[in-house]
Amino acid sequence: MISHSALVPLRPFRYRVLVYATAACATTTGVAALLLRVFDLSNVVMLFLLTVMLVALRWGRAAGALAAVVAVGSFDFFFVPPVWSFHVSDTQYLFTFFLMLVVALVTGQLAARLRAEAVSAAAGERRANALAQVATDLSVAVRDEDIAEVCTSRIGPLFDGKASLLLPDRDDRIAPDGYGNSGIAQWVLEMGQPAGHGTATLPAHGATYLPLVTPLRTRGVLMLERSSTQALDADLAGLLRAFQSLIALAIERVHFVEVAHEAQLRMEGERLRNALLSAVSHDLRTPLTAIRGMAGMLGEGDVAQAIVIQADRMQRQIVNLLDAARLQGEGVRLDLQWHALDELVGAALAATGLGRRQIVVDIPPDMPLVQLDAILFERVLANLFDNAAKYTPDDATLYVCAELAGANLVLRIEDDGPGFPAGIDVNALFAEFARGTRESAVPGVGLGLALSRRIVEAHGGSISASRREPHGACFEVILAAEEPPTIDLEEPA
Amino acid sequence: MNKPRILVVEDEADIRRFLRLALEHEEMTVFEAGDALRARIDAASRQPDLIVLDLGLPDDDGKAVIRDVRGWSSAPIIVLSARDRESEKVAALEAGADDYLAKPFGVPELVARVRAQLRRANLTGDRGQASASVRFGDIEVNLATHEVHRRGDIVHLTPIEFRLLAALVRGQGRVLTYRQLLTDVWGPGYATRAHYVRVYMANLRQKLEEQPAQPRHLVTELQVGYRLAGIAESS
Repeated sequence: MISHSALVPLRPFRYRVLVYATAACATTTGVAALLLRVFDLSNVVMLFLLTVMLVALRWGRAAGALAAVVAVGSFDFFFVPPVWSFHVSDTQYLFTFFLMLVVALVTGQLAARLRAEAVSAAAGERRANALAQVATDLSVAVRDEDIAEVCTSRIGPLFDGKASLLLPDRDDRIAPDGYGNSGIAQWVLEMGQPAGHGTATLPAHGATYLPLVTPLRTRGVLMLERSSTQALDADLAGLLRAFQSLIALAIERVHFVEVAHEAQLRMEGERLRNALLSAVSHDLRTPLTAIRGMAGMLGEGDVAQAIVIQADRMQRQIVNLLDAARLQGEGVRLDLQWHALDELVGAALAATGLGRRQIVVDIPPDMPLVQLDAILFERVLANLFDNAAKYTPDDATLYVCAELAGANLVLRIEDDGPGFPAGIDVNALFAEFARGTRESAVPGVGLGLALSRRIVEAHGGSISASRREPHGACFEVILAAEEPPTIDLEEPA
Repeated sequence: MNKPRILVVEDEADIRRFLRLALEHEEMTVFEAGDALRARIDAASRQPDLIVLDLGLPDDDGKAVIRDVRGWSSAPIIVLSARDRESEKVAALEAGADDYLAKPFGVPELVARVRAQLRRANLTGDRGQASASVRFGDIEVNLATHEVHRRGDIVHLTPIEFRLLAALVRGQGRVLTYRQLLTDVWGPGYATRAHYVRVYMANLRQKLEEQPAQPRHLVTELQVGYRLAGIAESS
């Protein structure tokens, strides 16, 4: 079945045309025999030349050449005396035959070439139209499905076959889809080389697989299944290559449209999320400020103190929750600056109510500055101190020490309290919403340690917990120690 | 002595009420404003000795109010702000605020800050520059002779360490931002090199604080700056 718009003009050479050429010559001979009663023999030659030209124009080069020979032969046989014989009595007719043959061949070949050029010009125009049409269709495609539709409905018929677009999924795998063989398509996608019929790889396969290559990567595979097994000629192969790049560019354009759309959605989401968090933060903080403040007005009584303590506790939970929500968003943006570790420890200690617990800080004075997001890192320390306040008795001692160990900075926060309950995996404490004892009387949802781990890991460090001998808990934060910026030293006084 | 006049600018009525109760309990006269417009009018007509200002007002940015008031008044301004808005605090301080309180805060904290700011305003306002000698804890700083004593023993400070200490002393308990300290001590070219202050502050703490990691006087305001706490009232 050949579609009317198929661009396959190369009709295979058919021997039938030679029969037509011979028949045309025979007819001409008959007509010439009739005309010879009226006209001179030399005029009849013209009739044969006209026939050769028409045959060449209609049926091409080979038919024209055959007609030239047959025309000269029948002129000799039927009209030149002695008639009904190839013998020639007057030798000057040999010259006539020679001239007639040359003129017939030349006009025949010229006419045939004229026809071939007209045919190829028409084919070229059809190809240009097809290319323009496909380009127009692809330019309005906004989804991959639109491009696939152009392939099936436009490109397939042009090549007298079936064309389909095979696109990889997010993992760069091409799914088998009923057509063809996804293994070959996958190979074509990965290698960026054509395969299948008419190529160097697997030429025996029924279909041709063409990679859709863009400057960045191979974006898909165009599969072409043709009903004819004949190879495409140079013009059509060129046209197919043009389609290949057009489709590849269209897929790339659609891809970047999607990327831009997703980025916009993400930005919008991020903005909305921040706005929501600010609103929640404000709405929770305002009543808490009022509660805490009014409780303060109630004097020094136990109830008032308890309200203040609970309000503070709630405040810390809100801060943890909001920070956790903020960190859950994509791409935590750290405000990295060079800080003195003891200053952060001091700020965190000042922000945590540790009661009568003794605090021993051992940070060497020559400790280099570390690059940190101070606000977030203070959360880590405050959560660890807060834990100590929750899980140790009032008379416990808290040790904070830091040291340089090779390229790392190690910060240890230990206490001599009861330590972790027996039988629990201490490092599982850092998992979201884990707590040492199930449903204990001590408040907190285990968010603090999970948040701390997330913050430390965002800094490229690690945090771990261990049991302290003879009793107590030890938390260890390890950060990469980097070379701090230089400082212009003042000249000695 | 007259009762100090305090203007409270806060859009939440409940917070306004407890601020009023807390401050009136301390023998102060309190005026309330619920928005920036009212705040500007009251700041001009009531002539307050101190303004407590919430940065999140419904009709205008609190920082704009600070800049306006600073145009004609030197009354101390204490800003109320959320914990996680460090850049906002810095902007408010650089616009002319003197101190800030992070919400939620306790009454004792509020009263202490208000009293400290009123005292500072009295010192610099009524009697001009206070005496050249300032005491905090067991440290005595003489701004005229550049001498620093700790429990009577002289402490050797480098010129920059002394300039940094002097800047904090002149601040009289105000929170000074990194930028303010850097421009004051090192010069405008250093305004963004916050680590300079951190390094020299660590040195100062080593020399002046009992426990450098738990400073009592050279107090860190995380991501904002520093303040000198516990300045003794000059007798």
